[in-house]
Amino acid sequence: MRRLRIPESVRDGVVASLALVPSVFVYGTVFGGLAVQAGLRPVEVWGMSVLVFAGASQFVAVPMMAAGAPVLAVVVTTYVINMRHYLMAATLAPSFRGFRRRSLALIAHLINDESFAVTVARSQPPDAGVYLGSATAISGSFVVGVLVGTLLGGLVDDPERYGLDFAFPAVFLSLVAVQLRRRSDWLVAVGAAVLAVALALVLRGNWHIVIAGLVASGAGALLLPSREEETCDRTSG
Amino acid sequence: MRSYVWLTIVGMALATYLTRAPMFLALARRPLPSRVRLWLRLVPLAVLPALAIPLIVVRDGRLAASLAHPPLWGAVVVFLLAARGVNLLVSVTCAVTVVALLRALG
Repeated sequence: MRRLRIPESVRDGVVASLALVPSVFVYGTVFGGLAVQAGLRPVEVWGMSVLVFAGASQFVAVPMMAAGAPVLAVVVTTYVINMRHYLMAATLAPSFRGFRRRSLALIAHLINDESFAVTVARSQPPDAGVYLGSATAISGSFVVGVLVGTLLGGLVDDPERYGLDFAFPAVFLSLVAVQLRRRSDWLVAVGAAVLAVALALVLRGNWHIVIAGLVASGAGALLLPSREEETCDRTSG
Repeated sequence: MRSYVWLTIVGMALATYLTRAPMFLALARRPLPSRVRLWLRLVPLAVLPALAIPLIVVRDGRLAASLAHPPLWGAVVVFLLAARGVNLLVSVTCAVTVVALLRALG
């Protein structure tokens, strides 16, 4: 009898995501609890969490829906908040060269900030197995959290009191920290941070992530010598 | 009301899938020139700080960068620990604890 073997890289991805599992789970319960309070039925909240699976935009959509906002307004807002996925998808895609189209279409649905961060910090180019492990851990804890939240209400009234909101920027920040090797890396990261803060002060939605991410990485790619890339491929990972 | 809810959910799902799938499917199957590969390597270096830093210093559309702002200290802790190669789970737990303690005190 054959035993199902889970590749080591997938396990690595799960383990690397453990720092985020409690926060993702708790925010799942908070979302589930809030959405039910706002008048959605549990089955609708589950449907949204599985079909949309993008926490930030769901938190924004529920109060809009409760206020009876036009469908188009909610959909466009969701799109703008999630536009950052384009950049993450582009970065992750080349690691999935051997995969079938149908699998790719399914795997794309699981793209999320947390798994993106964990995967790109692990190796460059990113590893498909690590991403799959991380996406499983993150999507699993989010959906189970939502399920628990719709049935029992949010488990933690005020996650901020326990610093749980800070787990997200903390993870993103520590994953940048381990990637800063060259001076040009610092330039891109600091440039993006400054631009993002400036834009976040004037723009709603998640435009600042999209614009700062695109401008800083694009400027780096145009201005830095691309020969640097070949040496990078050998030294990193 | 209910058809409104499902219509909105399906619309949100399609809009979100449209942000995930096209790039993923388009770039997964062809070799890329070195400048594009350089760009793809820089994307996380730009996107991660663009995600993280506003979460730390922007609150309700205003700059919250005073020394009494707990997330600022959490950020310093997590950055220093991570840069020294401390395990992710440990450094994030330390930072979350620092933020929770400072909020309890403040």
